[in-house]
Order: sequence, then C-alpha cells, then structure tokens
Amino acid sequence: MSDLIFIAASLVFFIVAVVYLYGCKSLKGGDDNA
Amino acid sequence: MTANGWLQIAVFFALVLLTAKPLGLYMVRVYERQKTLLDPVLGPIERLLYRLTGIDANAEMRWTEYGAAMLIFSLATILLTYAIERLQGAISLLNPQHLAGVEPYLAWNTAVSFATNTNWQSYVPESTMSYLTQMVGLATHNFWSAAVGMALAIAFIRGISRRESKTLGNFWVDLTRGTLWVLLPISIVYALALVSQGVVQNLKPYDTVKVIEPQTVTSTGTDGKPVTTTISTQTIAQGPVASQEAIKMLGTNGGGFFNANSAHPFENPTPLSNLLQMLSIFLIPAAFTVALGKMVGSPGHGWAVFAAMTLLWFAGVATCYWAESQPNPLLHGVDQRVVQMGAAQSSGGNMEGKEVRFGIANSALFTTVTTDTSCGAVNNMHDSLMPLGGLVPLSNIHLGEIIFGGVGSGMFGMLIFVILTVFIAGLMVGRTPEYLGKKVEAFDVQMSMLYFLIFPIVILGFSAIAVLAPSFGTSSLSNHGPHGLSQILYAYTSAAGNNGSAFAGLNANTHWYNATLGITMLAGRFLMIVPMLAVAGNLATKKIAPPSLGTFPVNTPLFTSLLVGVIVIVGALTFFPALSLGPILEHLLLRSGVSFS
Repeated sequence: MSDLIFIAASLVFFIVAVVYLYGCKSLKGGDDNA
Repeated sequence: MTANGWLQIAVFFALVLLTAKPLGLYMVRVYERQKTLLDPVLGPIERLLYRLTGIDANAEMRWTEYGAAMLIFSLATILLTYAIERLQGAISLLNPQHLAGVEPYLAWNTAVSFATNTNWQSYVPESTMSYLTQMVGLATHNFWSAAVGMALAIAFIRGISRRESKTLGNFWVDLTRGTLWVLLPISIVYALALVSQGVVQNLKPYDTVKVIEPQTVTSTGTDGKPVTTTISTQTIAQGPVASQEAIKMLGTNGGGFFNANSAHPFENPTPLSNLLQMLSIFLIPAAFTVALGKMVGSPGHGWAVFAAMTLLWFAGVATCYWAESQPNPLLHGVDQRVVQMGAAQSSGGNMEGKEVRFGIANSALFTTVTTDTSCGAVNNMHDSLMPLGGLVPLSNIHLGEIIFGGVGSGMFGMLIFVILTVFIAGLMVGRTPEYLGKKVEAFDVQMSMLYFLIFPIVILGFSAIAVLAPSFGTSSLSNHGPHGLSQILYAYTSAAGNNGSAFAGLNANTHWYNATLGITMLAGRFLMIVPMLAVAGNLATKKIAPPSLGTFPVNTPLFTSLLVGVIVIVGALTFFPALSLGPILEHLLLRSGVSFS
C-alpha cells in the first residue's frame, strides 16, 4: 500500500510540475518574439 | 591559522584556475558537436544509443519541450531507483550481506534525493544498501543528475547566445553527450587515481576482524537492567567504492558509500586524495564559466563571473578557517590535556569532528567547497563546527549554491543572478536593462523572482513547522536552543539547495523528515528549473542589439562587484533573521559560557 502511495505521490508531483511549466509559458502571452 | 594552511588553500585554487580553461573549451566542443579526441571511441556508442532509443539527434526542442523531457526522465529514474531499493532483499545478485529491502519512506526519500543531485542520506549506506542498489540505483543517478544539470546550464547559455531562435537544443543529446564525453572519461581516470591512494574497489563480503584490545561495553537492556558485553570483533565494510567516489565528487552529488562519507579512510585515505576530491568538486563548475564566455562570444564575461565566484569562495573559506582555528572558549584552559592553541603535537583550534590527517585548513576548505557547490560530501562533521564555522556552509547554500555551484545548476543559478543584476543596474541609470545585447523584460524578471522565491518558501516554511512541532519536529534533535534550530534549518536548506550535507545531530530517518525533505528536494530542483528554462527560452527568441553607450558592460570589475553585492543582499535579506537565531546567537552565547545539550 505504501508503495502505491509513494509512486502516486511522485506521479502527482511531476504532473503538477508539467502544469506549472505550461502555466509559466502562459504568463508570457501570445507573441513568442515579444 | 598557519602559513602552511594558506599555502594548501592557494595550491588548491591554483589548480582550479589551471584546469578551468582547457576543460571549459573542451565542453564547448562537446555540446556544440565539434570534433574531439574521443570521437572515434565515443561517436559509435552515441549513435548506437540514439538508434536503440529512437532519438532524432538533429531535432531541436523549445524550452517547454526541453523541460518536459527533463521532467519525464527524472520521474522515470526516481521510480526505477525506488523499485531497486524496495526489491533489493529479494535479489541475491550483488548483495553479499543479504540486506533487506529498504522501507518505503526511506526508499522514496533516497530515490528523490539522488535524482535531484541532493544525495541526502537518512540512512547508514553500508548497513542499508546492497552493492546492486549502490551501483545501479545510486551511482548511475550520480551520472544522470549531474548530466541533467549540465544540459540545463548549456540550454541556458544557448538561450543567451542564440538570436531569434525558438529552441534551446535537444535534451536527450545534451544528456548523452555530457555523460559520455565529460563525466565518464574523467570518472574512469579519477577512480583509478583514487584506487592508487587506497580507496577500495571490490565486490567482497564485509570482513570481520579481531580487535587488538577487546572492549567491554555496558548498556541498558530491554528489562532496564545493565547489560555488559565484550566486543572482540569488528566488521569492516567493503565495496565498489572508488567508482562511486569519483562521480560522487565530480558530479557534485556527495552521497557517500559509507556513512562517514569522505572522512572514511576507505573513501578518502590521504591528503592527496583529499586534494583531488576538492578539486573535482570545482572542476566542472569552474569550467562552465569559460564555456559561458566562449559560447556567448565574450570570454571576459565568463571571467567576470569566475571572479565573482572566487570572491565569495574566498570570503567563505577565510571565515571558516579563522573560526575553526579559534579555541573553543568552553574548553580552553579548563583541561590542559586539550591542546587548542597549537603545539608540536596539535594543529590547534577546534579539532572536534575533524580528521587529524586533514587538519583544520583542509577541513575548513572542504566544508566551504562542498557547500559552495551542491556536492554535500563531508570530510569533517559540520555539527561539530564552531558556530561561525557552521554559519559558512549554511550561508553558502542560502546564497543559492552559485559559488561555482553544482555542475550546471551553479551556472544557471548564477545566470539568474546576472539577469537580476543587469535589471537593477538598468533601474539605477534609468535605461532598459540589456544583457549581452538582449533586452531584459518583465517576463524575464517575473520568472527570475519566481526562481528566487521558491527556495526560501520551502526552507523557511518547513523549518517553521518542524520547530513548532515537538512530537515530530524537535523530537529528532540532539541539541536544543540555537544549535537545534541550526540543525533543522540546515536539513531543509541542504534539501532545498540539493546539497545533501547534514549538520548531523538531527535524526532525519522519521516519516515526517523523510517525506518533507523529499518534497523540499523536489521543489528545490524542479520548481526552480522551470522558471529558469522559461527565462532561457524567452532570451533565445530575442534579437541581439549592438552595444551602445547605454549598454552595461558585463565583463568589468564594476559588474563583478555589483553581482557580488546583489547575491549577498538577496541572501542576507532572505535568511539573516533565521541565521541570527541560529549560529549567530549560538556564537554570542558560547562567548558568554552558555551551551545547550
């Protein structure tokens, strides 16, 4: 059971990190060359 | 302090200076895919790896793709190491001591720790990890996490040097080339050098030997009555140490094969091996300054950054060496057998927790070097440092480990400080800030500030909770008062900085500390890398304007001074209140004759 919790926790962290990554990108706004 | 001690510190730095340029230029050739002497050997291996994994080596990645690839890779390596640790008891291969599987909290903490280049160890390696786990689970991570850091630093430098580009390179190629061309060849030669000094390298079961003088030990039994035991044998741990030791230092990983780390005679037996270990910590980070200068077309800028790092390093080592050379006021004069002022038989100063073969100077230098970077290996016990001596490693990590810094991570951390410095310089003269011809705009500063804010939030947040929780926070302490605060603060600082050294004295192998330190390591690594990559990606898209009268030059002593000033001010504003309640208060109380048990 503990194993599943830690594997799930790792997955959740990295999913959050990917969302955070694209969140940072969205802060930049539309024009890539601005 | 002695002239001999300063001479050894000077020799160390001269070697760093001598090696930085050739290695830096070599690294540029590696990452820019130019010809090197090793191509005939490593080229076919690289191409085979790409063929087996289906990687298109010519494909370029945007910063988001680069970051996502790095995150996926790190997740996969964490899960792999976690599985190896949990299953080691069921695998007889390379487990001569028949060690059981690692319990889940500790296994997760360790997997995260090695994937983030922290190498925090809440366990005694020689009695917890099998040879298989050490070699496949941990030593390989030493290569991977270092290569990831180097790849990210190169991506950042490309962001500065490229003009109007949407891409930063290919993560998989950078990872492969950093491992194959830089880390592996140096590690092989280095491991052999360590073996020549007496570092062990074998797969034998542990030796059991008879001690010369059996010891009688009295302890309290489970029934509360005293139990007397005579100890007549000793177990001497063995293992493939040299191969792990080399990359442990070169990759600024720091996780020891043995619990005593580089204070163990099988890990670091001689003054020469000690010098090699310290040099190898700074080797790649120092070379990165040369690589920066070369890749952005301004060697002077690389050396200006090198100079800033050198100034901060020197301030740290001078303070630590001075602090440890002083006698402990609570011991001095109390017992004439304790020689603290220097004599023919003693180097003087605070020798508690230090190896006699290294002495004060090489212990202070090691402590400074290992915390300037994200290494965290120790050749002396940081918990035994004098309060102001202990302030140095704490402060070094609090500054962001940018004093040469971790392999790659030190460089990109320093470059974020450069962005901030250029921004502040622009504000001071009322012009749009420019960095090497690229305008620094709101998004760059927002992402830089995000990078800076995550670090103190996780350190101070978790430290505050632990300090206020007697049941799971302060119950792990060996000392109370300001030293206890330093122990907790150091643990979270080390985890967030991905350093991995410990103040010791804190029993971190508890559910609370294993879980929260794991979260701190993840946040301190990946949540800081993302905004850094965002800055790099944004810089890459910009045009490069030619220098004008209003351009702030970044290759001058003025730039170096301003950069050092910004680093110190940011660090002091963030962490001075906590430090004043820890090591600084402890120093003042110690001078008044007060200590805490």
